[in-house]
Amino acid sequence: MAAALQVRDLQVHFHTRRGVFRALNGVNLVLREGEVLGIAGESGCGKSTLGLTVMSLLPRNAAVPGGQVIYDERNLVNLQVDYAKSAGDRFLPKRNEHVLKRVNKAMASIRGVGLSMVFQEPMTSLNPVLTIGFQIAEAVYLHNPALLAKRRLAREAATPQDLREILRLLEENEGDEAPIRAYVAAKSLEGLEEQALFVWRRPDIHRARKEKAILTLGEVEPRRFERSILGVVARAGSIPPQFRWIPIFRKVVRHALFREGYRKAEELLTSLGVPNADRVVRMYPHELSGGMRQRVVIAIALANNPSVVIMDEPTSAVDVTVQAQILELIRQIRNTIHASFIVISHDLSVLAEVCDRIAIMYAGRIVEIAPVGDTLTHPLHPYTQLLVSAIPTLDRKEIVGIRGEIPDMRDPPSGCAFHPRCPFAFGKCATHVPIDIPQGKEQLVACWLYEAK
Amino acid sequence: MKLWVYVVRRLILLIPTLIGLTFIVFGLLHAGGTTEFIKDYLNPRLTGPARQAAISDLIIRFHLNEPLFVQYFYWIRAVLGGDLGYTAVQGGVPVSTALTWFLPNTLVLTVFASALTWILAIPIGVFSAVRRDSVIDQGVRVATFTLYSMPIFLIGYGLLVLFGVTWRVLPIEGMLNEQLYTDLPSSWFDHSFAVSSPTHILMFDAFIHGYWGVAWDAFLHVVAPTLTLTLALLAGIVRILRASMLEVLDQDYIRLARAKGAPERVVNNLHARRNALLPTVTTFGYLVASLLGGAVVVEDIFTFKGIGWWTTQALLMTDVGGIMGTTLIFGLVLVLANLAVDILYGLLDPRIRY
Amino acid sequence: MAVAFGSKARFDDLRLSARVFLANKSAVAGLVIFLGFLIVGLLVTLTPGLMGIQDPGVFVSNAFINANVANCSGAWPEPPSAAHWFGTTEYQGAGGFGCIDLFNLILKAIPVDLALSFFIVLIGAGIGTVIGILAGYMGRYVDEGLMRLTDIFFGIPFLVLAIAVGFVIGRTLLNMAVALMIVWWPLYARYGRSLTLSTKEMAFVESATAAGSGRWKILFKHILPNVLPPIFIQISLDVGTVVGIFSALAFIGFLPTDANLPELGYITNQGLTLAPLGYWWTVVFPGATITLFALAVNLMGDGFRDVIDPRRRS
Repeated sequence: MAAALQVRDLQVHFHTRRGVFRALNGVNLVLREGEVLGIAGESGCGKSTLGLTVMSLLPRNAAVPGGQVIYDERNLVNLQVDYAKSAGDRFLPKRNEHVLKRVNKAMASIRGVGLSMVFQEPMTSLNPVLTIGFQIAEAVYLHNPALLAKRRLAREAATPQDLREILRLLEENEGDEAPIRAYVAAKSLEGLEEQALFVWRRPDIHRARKEKAILTLGEVEPRRFERSILGVVARAGSIPPQFRWIPIFRKVVRHALFREGYRKAEELLTSLGVPNADRVVRMYPHELSGGMRQRVVIAIALANNPSVVIMDEPTSAVDVTVQAQILELIRQIRNTIHASFIVISHDLSVLAEVCDRIAIMYAGRIVEIAPVGDTLTHPLHPYTQLLVSAIPTLDRKEIVGIRGEIPDMRDPPSGCAFHPRCPFAFGKCATHVPIDIPQGKEQLVACWLYEAK
Repeated sequence: MKLWVYVVRRLILLIPTLIGLTFIVFGLLHAGGTTEFIKDYLNPRLTGPARQAAISDLIIRFHLNEPLFVQYFYWIRAVLGGDLGYTAVQGGVPVSTALTWFLPNTLVLTVFASALTWILAIPIGVFSAVRRDSVIDQGVRVATFTLYSMPIFLIGYGLLVLFGVTWRVLPIEGMLNEQLYTDLPSSWFDHSFAVSSPTHILMFDAFIHGYWGVAWDAFLHVVAPTLTLTLALLAGIVRILRASMLEVLDQDYIRLARAKGAPERVVNNLHARRNALLPTVTTFGYLVASLLGGAVVVEDIFTFKGIGWWTTQALLMTDVGGIMGTTLIFGLVLVLANLAVDILYGLLDPRIRY
Repeated sequence: MAVAFGSKARFDDLRLSARVFLANKSAVAGLVIFLGFLIVGLLVTLTPGLMGIQDPGVFVSNAFINANVANCSGAWPEPPSAAHWFGTTEYQGAGGFGCIDLFNLILKAIPVDLALSFFIVLIGAGIGTVIGILAGYMGRYVDEGLMRLTDIFFGIPFLVLAIAVGFVIGRTLLNMAVALMIVWWPLYARYGRSLTLSTKEMAFVESATAAGSGRWKILFKHILPNVLPPIFIQISLDVGTVVGIFSALAFIGFLPTDANLPELGYITNQGLTLAPLGYWWTVVFPGATITLFALAVNLMGDGFRDVIDPRRRS
């Protein structure tokens, strides 16, 4: 099966005034296309760092001394590894900042389009001085302005019979995409299909209203100047330079594209279950609740149909009812969008709800990775076993914890990082780092207990 | 709640502050006692019974026998009617007249300095924060630090020597070259003080009426004092802008903007800068008081006849009317400037309005 | 922002604080210069002879005037030279009496300015902080009343207010200090109040109240340890700023021309009439001294901020 993302032997060190923290110590991971992979572990095990490293969003004091992150046949961290290797002990955040500038430049075309991320804290993830609609629309504007232009132009160009035909195709084929796309392509009305499909798939309105909405898609106020400019953008595929530098054009283009962007933002929010999306897009983040903000952040992440979506603790900062909604949302998204997901959480029960496979992390390494059912019913690694048994259930009388603490990552234990806390540790554990040992068809565990004799 | 509600609220809060301001000024007026107060109105050549009579007249005229409260109300009524007493500057003119002479000049200095500061500070501050620890950033930090530590009279004096003495490119004294005063129409002279019309700002009025030479010369006289104020203000603003940019750049929403794939330019100028400007505008609000105080010093150094200069003269000449008038007007200007800054902040920060 | 418990933790905390401060090289430089000023000030006050100063406490002594009437009365200032490192300046109060060594004069002025700034800032900050904390802690009417009061003072630019107060109570050195104290306390009232309010909102205060601690206990044990350190930093910064302000006051002539005081702003004022004629050193050197002092204090303050602000520590 194809791999959407691959991580090989990734190491990340944080250089702080209090010492060098070895956050990741050789992480190996393969994200399969279309799957939902969970990454579980306690605070400080490095799971968030892993997500950030994949996106190359590490702070300037983070060194990547080794490893690869392979996406779309490219190694995303090679610049950072090169610098960290050449600097060795004399790693300087100041110097690293220069490297990061080049990294950001290179990543700008990947982030938000191929790879996207949903962060942990919805309360602080949104820019407080920009409207919701702007922040979502911007995601599309930055990467695919032509789409926005085409949408608008298509609406203007569509004749009432085009719309009736589309409606008929939708009803006949029960919302199947292919015939709509074919029709739209034939009539050069690209951009219309996603708008029609969105209306069709809305769970919150009647059939009759959907019909009406589709048939009235073509009602656009004609603005000739805008139309001709948008036409140029649509044909060019991106905003041509003359529109970017000349103030008048720039303003008109931005204005028109963002207006369409707000419409798309409404569509995204509605499909994520946000009521009154048309009002929400004009609001500011501080006017929304945590659950709403989380949906906005998810909308931003999904706006350009990325291939990989990383969700860092999507449920940790919200209360339980909202947690349930978000998990439901994730389940719904994965069914409609062809993307691969990485869900990071310290809560195994959350991961159990949505993931296909779960990887357990400890002290900067992945210690076990298996399909979700196997992980929970037959955990192999001692750490996983303790984690699973620590989940409070209704029939347990005593809360079982794991003795000891996570190690100080400035000076991690030798050999297997878990050996000081492991009830089954033996000689080899203290001296040799466990390798990944396959168990059965789908499971991998990094523990000497499973070494083939 | 919308913006105009916020504005109205602020305007209402203005009233107690203005009342307090007038209390202080009133207190000043009478702090020296009755004799000090009537000193300016008393003809010094009167002696004996005539003098006594004049004094009694003045006491009745200014209600000096009645309780302080009542005196305060009479005074407020007079002030609102435009009668603010007399100042000894320029040979003794009503305070209200002096205000119209001097205030426009100070406004020219402060407004130009503020505008120039913002125009320069934003690119410098943002660049400095974005290219942190670069050569330019270090240079900016050293320069702003030094300027911030320099007392304003040193900056002013430094510019005076540099531009006025060493290089001789700018004039260093007064409002206009002595000889050019003869070019002005005689209708512009009031109490032998050159008061141009209609704006009372020589630079602009001369331009409007076509006196190009005068306009240019008047402009040159404005450059050095404005530059001094700008440098002093710039130091404070660039420092806070840089610091808040750095803080903003560490925020989660900046990380999200990058995660969206926004290029650095957009991240810095759109996402970061707008947020960094908020505390900067607040700081500017605090700095307006220093700006006005600085104007006092600068106008003294360059003998630039604005209300700052008037204040210093009033101090040296023990001119009660002058001190009262300048304190009142400075207070008013400051209060209004703070209001303007608050409104500006309300425009920039959506969280305040709702 | 937590306060360390237990003496070992506190000691480690202090060592880390010292390390953080010392890592900031410019802060250390600032500290060194500041200490230098303090030492000079002390030496000049206690052992003037050692510094080569005959007449501490005055701009120019009568003895000096009497001894040098012949060649110094009306003499123009001399530029810096080997004999006079900073050149000489004139005393306007005695009709332009020259030959006054500027370097000596500045040395004499240092303790005066230092003492003045400490005096003003400490008292002004003291009064202001108490009022501010009271307003923040007591809340409601006390808060409203006190804040209206401070707002009135904020309505007038401080230089103008100082001038007005000086006008009323008289133009002497002490009165200048008093005027500036009056100008200074509202800043600390407002700052102290906002710090108190934000500390009051913090969870640990709520939990202390829930646990039944008395109001005074909360005040001393929880509020003050979190409010006082930033105030202390602000005080240390203001010591530098206030010198600039009262010297500006002296510069524009707050002190009468014949005040005969060694004060940096006053010294500049004495030289000002001559300055445009090219005698730049009479204004530049005292001004540079003020700048150096303010610079040192600001650098030091930056270092302190590094220590206190938990984010900057890592």
